[in-house]
Amino acid sequence: MSNTNGYRWHDPIHAPGGVGARIPKSDGAAKADGSGIFTDDLSFPRMLHAKLLRSPHAHARIRSIDTSKAEALPGVIATLIGSEMPARYGVIPWTHDEQALATDHVRFVGDEVACVAAVDERTAEAALRLIEVDYEVLPALLSPQDALAHPEIKVNERAKVGNITKHVSLSFGDVDGALSAATARSHHTYEYAGNTHAAIEPHCAVARADADGNLTVWSSTQIPHYVHRELSRVLGLAPARIRVIQPLLGGAFGGKSDPFSLEFCVAKLALKTGRPVKLLFTREEVFYSHRGRHPMTMDVQVALDADGRIAAVDNKILIDGGAYASFGLVTAYYSGQLLTGPYRFGSYRFDSTRVYTNKPPCGPKRGHGSVQPRFAFEVALDEAAAQLELDPIEVRRRNFIGENVDTVNGQRITSNGFLKCLELVESASGWKERHGRMGRGRGLGVAGSMYISGTAYPVYPNEMPQSGVLVKLDRSGRVAIFSGASDIGQGVNTLLCQIASEELGCDPRDVTVVASDTDLTPVDLGAYSSRVTFMTGTAAREACGKLRTQLKLAAADKLGCAADQVEIELGTIRSAADAAKNASFMQACQWAEAREGRPLAETGGYRTKDIGEGKLGGEYRGGTIGASPAYSFTAHIAEVEVDEETGLWRCTNVWAAHDCGKALNPTLVEGQIEGSVYMGVAEAQLEEMSYTASGQHRGPSLLDYRIPTSLDTPLIGASIVESGDPNGPYGAKEAGEGPLHAAIPAIANALFDACGIRVRELPFTPAKVLALIRARDEAQRGAAC
Amino acid sequence: MNRGAGRPNHQRVSAPSQTQVLVTLHINGETQSVAVSSQATLLEALRDGLGLTGTKQGCDKGDCGACTVLARPLDENAARASGSSSRGEPILSCITLAQDAQGLALTTIEGLAGAQGLDSIQRAFADCGALQCGFCQPGMMLSARALLDSNPQPSLPQIQAALSGNLCRCTGYTKIYEAVQVAAGMRMPSHARPVRSEPAPGVDGPRVEVKEIAT
Amino acid sequence: MLTLPMLAVHQPKSVDEAVALLRDIPGARLLAGGTDIVPNLKYGMYETGNLVALRGISRELRYIREEESELRIGAMCSVDQLANHARVIELFPSLADAASQIAGPQLRRMGTVGGNLCLDTRCVYINQSHFWRSALGYCLKKDGTVCHVVKGGQRCVAAASNDTAPILVALGAMVRLVSPRGERIIPLDDFYIADGVKNTQLARDELLVEARIPLAAARLRQAYGKLRLRQAIDFPALNFGVTISVEEQKVAALRLCVGALAARPALVRHVDELRGRPVSTPEEIRALGQELGLRAQRQCKPLTNIGVDPEWRREILPVLVRRGVERALLS
Repeated sequence: MSNTNGYRWHDPIHAPGGVGARIPKSDGAAKADGSGIFTDDLSFPRMLHAKLLRSPHAHARIRSIDTSKAEALPGVIATLIGSEMPARYGVIPWTHDEQALATDHVRFVGDEVACVAAVDERTAEAALRLIEVDYEVLPALLSPQDALAHPEIKVNERAKVGNITKHVSLSFGDVDGALSAATARSHHTYEYAGNTHAAIEPHCAVARADADGNLTVWSSTQIPHYVHRELSRVLGLAPARIRVIQPLLGGAFGGKSDPFSLEFCVAKLALKTGRPVKLLFTREEVFYSHRGRHPMTMDVQVALDADGRIAAVDNKILIDGGAYASFGLVTAYYSGQLLTGPYRFGSYRFDSTRVYTNKPPCGPKRGHGSVQPRFAFEVALDEAAAQLELDPIEVRRRNFIGENVDTVNGQRITSNGFLKCLELVESASGWKERHGRMGRGRGLGVAGSMYISGTAYPVYPNEMPQSGVLVKLDRSGRVAIFSGASDIGQGVNTLLCQIASEELGCDPRDVTVVASDTDLTPVDLGAYSSRVTFMTGTAAREACGKLRTQLKLAAADKLGCAADQVEIELGTIRSAADAAKNASFMQACQWAEAREGRPLAETGGYRTKDIGEGKLGGEYRGGTIGASPAYSFTAHIAEVEVDEETGLWRCTNVWAAHDCGKALNPTLVEGQIEGSVYMGVAEAQLEEMSYTASGQHRGPSLLDYRIPTSLDTPLIGASIVESGDPNGPYGAKEAGEGPLHAAIPAIANALFDACGIRVRELPFTPAKVLALIRARDEAQRGAAC
Repeated sequence: MNRGAGRPNHQRVSAPSQTQVLVTLHINGETQSVAVSSQATLLEALRDGLGLTGTKQGCDKGDCGACTVLARPLDENAARASGSSSRGEPILSCITLAQDAQGLALTTIEGLAGAQGLDSIQRAFADCGALQCGFCQPGMMLSARALLDSNPQPSLPQIQAALSGNLCRCTGYTKIYEAVQVAAGMRMPSHARPVRSEPAPGVDGPRVEVKEIAT
Repeated sequence: MLTLPMLAVHQPKSVDEAVALLRDIPGARLLAGGTDIVPNLKYGMYETGNLVALRGISRELRYIREEESELRIGAMCSVDQLANHARVIELFPSLADAASQIAGPQLRRMGTVGGNLCLDTRCVYINQSHFWRSALGYCLKKDGTVCHVVKGGQRCVAAASNDTAPILVALGAMVRLVSPRGERIIPLDDFYIADGVKNTQLARDELLVEARIPLAAARLRQAYGKLRLRQAIDFPALNFGVTISVEEQKVAALRLCVGALAARPALVRHVDELRGRPVSTPEEIRALGQELGLRAQRQCKPLTNIGVDPEWRREILPVLVRRGVERALLS
């Protein structure tokens, strides 16, 4: 027998599975046996290795760069500096403020300056030290406050006013009136520290140029399409000459959703040398590439009326953006626009300013832009409710916004299973029996949240589909799905197999997914904004649905029944009236191919304008940012234990319920919830991008930047709520980002239940917690006197 | 901050020497010789020298566990004396020098599956959804295999402790615990449980599915 | 990839061969488990081109045995062996506890007792890549002239971060050092010196081959304490070993050694004044713990060499010490 401990091939779970089945991931075996190919696993004959020279200064002008000594080093094949591809780029078309390599201005410690391709990494590394760069060091602006105070020092020339990337100010209803009329009020400042994705796979790219002038770039990216576009622009090469392929991806979380220097550099070096070129980031370089959670300072007011209803929310937000815009324009909007559910706001105002600073650029980390204000708001809501002696779950229930309703800022909410989420975590955690009664140092806290299922519109305005899928049926019974969507571990390729199985009756194991290859697959905008299940799923359903019709028509002819009397299920196609009249899936494919007289292939697409009422979002400038075809909802309850003498604390349990509309694969949805909870707990407890006074990252390693081990992670109880969205494929909405948000305020609120302290600054380090406990004791002593 | 008068950083650079050495490695039951640079790590020898790219590089300095392989002394007596389990103990190939690994019998992720197909731990990881991006998993599965080789029925705290040197960024570890318990034959994968579907809202309230953690 | 410098790896077959190599090759460094030196080499912290690998002599140095009223631990024992050795757990549970809290499972399998005792000092300004340190302008420990921890400091204060050292010092352990010139056996406390650049008195051609703990120390009440923000992989943010000799329900002798402060683990001074303190009730034990904790707090000054708030570490040191005393005496 094999080397097992009693576990054998377990047959039932390998049965064909359509939508809703817990089938194993389609790439599970390849990932399990080590045969799956990630970008760094690629190797080509004569391949060169590239390394990047980075700025040692937080802010400087480049007077000159001399690469001659590096070029003279044996083994060095080519060097590259910014003037060879000076075009500016950026993932958002309105904020092209990056260069592949700096031409004259470096903006943070780690900014890319030059690149070397050599026969191996050691030689390339040695060559970097031979490049002479003459810098004129400039004053560095390391906080957004400093950046605002010194508009005369420009971190990034693209800022129109001072160092401001984007300023948004929106108001809905009479906020000031509601604030003054309110019965209970919470008004405090909250600090959210920056943190980063820290996917275990470091960024890597490989490029090869063939003799015909075609360029292929393999990259660990979650946005092959945008990389394709930007490569074309920066290299000045027709997009038809460029092919971008995303191999297996070792985690992303938003950290691989910008075009990066390494992609441009390997491409240019491959063109320059005629040899394949690979560039793999060191872990330290991953920290410099960053694009992680923005630090935010939030001045938040929440006001409740006498019934505990949310009368007003006012939030003034200062966002530390780092050196480049990345998705920052969107961040500024998201920090305000995504707060307006699952509760009804009587009035709402936010004023958000994203500022450039001389630090690694921030960007979209899981729950982009909305995790920070969600934390502040949910803590403030708890605090205001406490003034009315309202149970924290009750205040959330009472303010539930409902289904098929518009938010105060004009976002259309369709399905909404938030109440069920609350109910589930309330009972799973034993809230009624335990909250407020767990004794000193132990507590429960609750929080809710809402997140988008994709942005309504693409980042560059156009009428083309946001997702496209091509499905081909073969007379062998094999199904091939061509999809531009990026499987970043979340399992979209598996969902595509399940959708094919659901529609066509094929075994999901008989489906080949050809994914994220710009030469072969229809465009999909990428794995960001939690758009994939909703949009790619819709496109796949449409393509498979067309083929389903063709199968039915052909089967009707052969089985001698009406097409609407043909049933498709799990590998067979049959007459509903007479089950003895049936055929295999393969037979049905052959019938259909014969009937059509051409190969069986269909496409499907997704455009927001084609669903529901078409146009989404409020009728004001910026009203479409944050507009989504559907919103997911989450409730969390966290349990904490606090050592009041030291401030050390741990989160022992999180119960999380998430409304994903419909779980196309419940195992994968649970995995997204569990991973989100873990990441939220990590932000609350451990993680912080911290810099020295000269702007250096204090610990760009997985030793010093502590991500939780198995021993630091709470037990997670994930529950799925299926509200069935009218527009989502089979009712599905997102599950990958929403379930992160509530973990952080739930923990903050649990710390209040445990020791009566309000933590308003992330991460909740034991030093901060101890200081708050001391202050509490001080206040109690004062009150006793 | 005061910048110290450090040495200019290019003074001590010369063309890196590329002294090659032939190392003999014992991997997955086979003895293979491979030419590597004298300072190559075991990870480089595996990935670049032998094409065994299933072993991953996450941090390259011993912090993350992605490069974990199993090792035991090649000398059987020494193996017994050190109490090594059948495939040995998890070590980090990114901070082991290839030259210094010549006395070890090594198992990489490629060596875990046999003629019977995937090892139970691999099967269970795939079946339980313990694999998301799959990048930390080769190392994670080898740590789990070493645990089960020495402790066939581990408790949850023992699983947590044994895997605490393998950082995973996707799963929150939850389904990994489940997979280890499934591989150990201590429970069935949650796949085996039917998906409980309740009517959609508008009919009778949201559909719900609740999942508990085995402890 | 982090590139290693060019290295020749020498593989001696005996301790004598190993120390002869150290003598004959200037700048040669020892490679045992590799968990400390390899990352440090990748960060360009050493100028060596030669490693003397000890794996070939691990059988000679991989033992834990009782001999001449001592427990003798060979330097090539892994810290995992130490943590799980039945006799160690029985005689010196605090030491097994310390070893079990080192890093993570893989690193404990690789890391050796000798390596942990000789662990290089650590600092947030030194355990960084060459690029990072060059951007900073280097520091006293390597390539620079400035200390970034102590303004104007002329002596490196990189922190002794070994988990086993404080408890072994508190247990009164000795170490046996072998060189081509012979061997010497010295108290572990004397082995360390207060210089972060090199914090041991190990000579260039010397090898630490064994730690020795007097079996009599097994009678001591003992505890190890470690502060860390993450439950695995982390080096100590503070650690200590405490041993208490109790006679007739009174303190007869007491040692407290604290690590992760500056270059060497430090014995807290003036603890003899606590002799004779009664420890027969939990209240008396708590009082002793508090007193000892306050003394430790007065003498220990956590620094910014470790990336965990020094003020907080100083503040909670008395609590950690008191709990250590309680663990030692109440168990």
